[in-house]
Amino acid sequence: MKTITLTLKKFSSIALEFEELIPDTVYNWNKEDFENYQVPVGNSRFPLTNYFDIEVEGDAEGPEDVKMILEGDMGRVKYIGYRMTDGEIIVNGDADLQAGAEMIGGSLKINGNAESYVGREMRGGNIEVMGNVKEYCGTSYIGEWRGMSGGVIKVHGNAGKQLADCMSGGEIYIGGNCDILAGIHMTKGYIEIGGDVTRWPGGQMKNGTIVIKGKLSYLLEGFDPEGVFVDPEVDGKQLAGKYIKYKGDVGVNGKGSLWLDAEKNRNLL
Amino acid sequence: MEYILKNGIVYDPTNNVNGDKKDVMIKDGKIVDNVSSDAKVLDVTDKLVMAAGVDVHSHIAGPKLCLGRLYRPEDSRAGVVAKTDITRAETGFSIPSCSATGYRYSRMGYGTVTEAAVPPLEAKHTHEEIMAIPNIDVSPLALFGNNWFVLQFVKENDLEGLAAFVSSWLKISRCYGMKVVNPCGSEAWGWGQNVHGIDDPAPYWGVTGGEVVRALTKVNEMLGLPHSMHVHPNDLGHPGNYPTTIATLDVVKDIEKNPNVLRDQTIHCTHLQFHSYGGTSWRDAKSGAEPVADYINKNKHVTCDVGQVTFDETTTMTADAPMEYDLYKLTGLKWANKDIELETASGLIPVIYSPKSPVSTLQWAIGLELFLLIKDPWQVVLTTDSPNAGPFIRYPRIISWLMSSDRRTEMIENKEVHNWASKRTSLPTLDRVYDWNDIAITTRSAPAKILGLEKRGHLGIGANADVAVYDIEPENFDATKASNAAVVEDVLTRAAYTIKDGEVVVKDGKIVKIVPSRHMWTNVTGFEQQEKKVLEDIMPMFNRYYTVKFENYKVFDHYIDPAIEFTIDASK
Repeated sequence: MKTITLTLKKFSSIALEFEELIPDTVYNWNKEDFENYQVPVGNSRFPLTNYFDIEVEGDAEGPEDVKMILEGDMGRVKYIGYRMTDGEIIVNGDADLQAGAEMIGGSLKINGNAESYVGREMRGGNIEVMGNVKEYCGTSYIGEWRGMSGGVIKVHGNAGKQLADCMSGGEIYIGGNCDILAGIHMTKGYIEIGGDVTRWPGGQMKNGTIVIKGKLSYLLEGFDPEGVFVDPEVDGKQLAGKYIKYKGDVGVNGKGSLWLDAEKNRNLL
Repeated sequence: MEYILKNGIVYDPTNNVNGDKKDVMIKDGKIVDNVSSDAKVLDVTDKLVMAAGVDVHSHIAGPKLCLGRLYRPEDSRAGVVAKTDITRAETGFSIPSCSATGYRYSRMGYGTVTEAAVPPLEAKHTHEEIMAIPNIDVSPLALFGNNWFVLQFVKENDLEGLAAFVSSWLKISRCYGMKVVNPCGSEAWGWGQNVHGIDDPAPYWGVTGGEVVRALTKVNEMLGLPHSMHVHPNDLGHPGNYPTTIATLDVVKDIEKNPNVLRDQTIHCTHLQFHSYGGTSWRDAKSGAEPVADYINKNKHVTCDVGQVTFDETTTMTADAPMEYDLYKLTGLKWANKDIELETASGLIPVIYSPKSPVSTLQWAIGLELFLLIKDPWQVVLTTDSPNAGPFIRYPRIISWLMSSDRRTEMIENKEVHNWASKRTSLPTLDRVYDWNDIAITTRSAPAKILGLEKRGHLGIGANADVAVYDIEPENFDATKASNAAVVEDVLTRAAYTIKDGEVVVKDGKIVKIVPSRHMWTNVTGFEQQEKKVLEDIMPMFNRYYTVKFENYKVFDHYIDPAIEFTIDASK
């Protein structure tokens, strides 16, 4: 097991990019390798040691043996865990854009808030964010119609707009509230939102499942009610309580299912 | 600057040089037969030397490209290359950034590219983009097949007026020649319709695609434009469309070629692969390549380019807007549509050509059938209708398929492609291979001749010093072996030298110099009086229906700097 600890000593207002610092590339690096490494900053590169104190302990045979700990405010560090296939990254602070984007495997834990595009086009692995995430969590790249296809994202706080755009697999759990258009264009996968949702979940969804345990302020017209179910089993998960089930989005002949907590959404009964 | 390329193996079909070991000498941007002792020697001993490539049909500049880039930001992620001291950063795969377009053509040893579809209303934009593309000269073709004025002239059977209109509009748009796309079909799209076959009239106008092609071809020969009528026939991509294609080619058969032009053809049929389908639907679709190739083999007034499918995820973009809508209904992918006022329409949609897909494989096989069934390589040109059937950077891969029937057999037998290649086409039975001379014809000499470019596509004395050298020894290399296909592709993708107008722009596959691309346009003289009258006649309609004023419509000279003007005396 190899533990790599990078402790922030100088905050850069121009974002650092960490796409090369994933377990897959650094598992055989020693301390000197890190000290010689130049990290992309804006359109240049500067020594990693300008920004971080580096500690490396133990050895690793492959990325699966690596634990990277990023200490401090990573609010201007982008692409943490980008395309990682294995190993573990823990961020003890906030993370900037694209954390866990295109992730294939392994785990990423952010003990703070994350910016937009967490888990964009994720294919596998686990992401856990203890705070909030901003927009486009678990979505596709801009313009791309193939989004998140696997893995699990768990956000304990709130999520921003267009959660899981074009999702085609995997699971997303949001503990807090969620803004507009969660699960837009989704074709497969499971989204569970613990808190309230502003508007329009499941717009143009073709298939997949969205569960909302809080209050939905505005349901899209393209969803037909299919009845009220008590303690339903949805995608192999047992939900507790009464839920209203909708099918949609009929605008695109969608067969997706949207489950709303009946108690919190009595106005729709 | 003088150069001497020493001891290369030269393929120059125009001048009957077929793999001879000889020197190529360059002075002041031209090929010469003698240079001074100061000439810089480039040792290219035993390497493959050809004229720089000429592309007869590609989409590289203009509003469609811009829309494509806006509409497919995900495509820009592919092909990212960091800037160097010489080059700008590159992005994009099927729709590369402007500078990347120039670099990539240049790296493949190309020197001249035809931008195949310029709506005159968007000509300014096209020329602006050409200004941003380096290292290749561009010959833009203006769209006439659905233009309201053209339809009006055809309706009134006023060929003299039509000729004056074309002559005037080539000056206004600063274009090199004429292009017709789905004649009357794109106009019908303005009414939510399409036309089927060459005898189906456009709504309101009552004229047919056949009449438009015939009238414009007559005008083309009347004016003596360097390039012939360049036609994208009706019914593109529809199973069972090959009779329409043959009918389109046949409708101009009796039109006499202007005696002053270099070319042999009176009609050039573009991306023929998309127009050579048999069957009645995608369920029973099959190849229609044989009857089409047979027609071309028997008729010298026709040339074509193939539009070879390359099995990539690419972006289709065409002025054939109703076809793009059909494609959207078929695939459900994101679709963009545009109306170009009195001139045409256009559409855009991503397409994934997969070797696992029966339809893509059928299209791939039909393209190769056309290459192999059309006997005279001077009649068939290598294109991918870039980016419609695949991006132009795949030309070397297509060459590797053409040069090795073993490789083609391997792909079919190893199930790299769907079995429709053998079940619905004759491809497995075709063992013809192209040699380097054939490749030089289909990628350089033939397209230059078809475009009427006297000084391009060959290495004769006085020709432009546009030369490509590839790091391969044709005498010691067996391109017919399946295992060598990857080598052919690799070597042709990165030229050892690309020389543009006597300057080395690529060395060892890397851009070493940037030169501005020149805008090639045709200036027809001898029709000034008629042009003046035609402009006066059409101005009320122009002012009524266009959203721009005529004063702002014209492409001004500063949009085409530097330019190459081809002056044609139409009175001859």
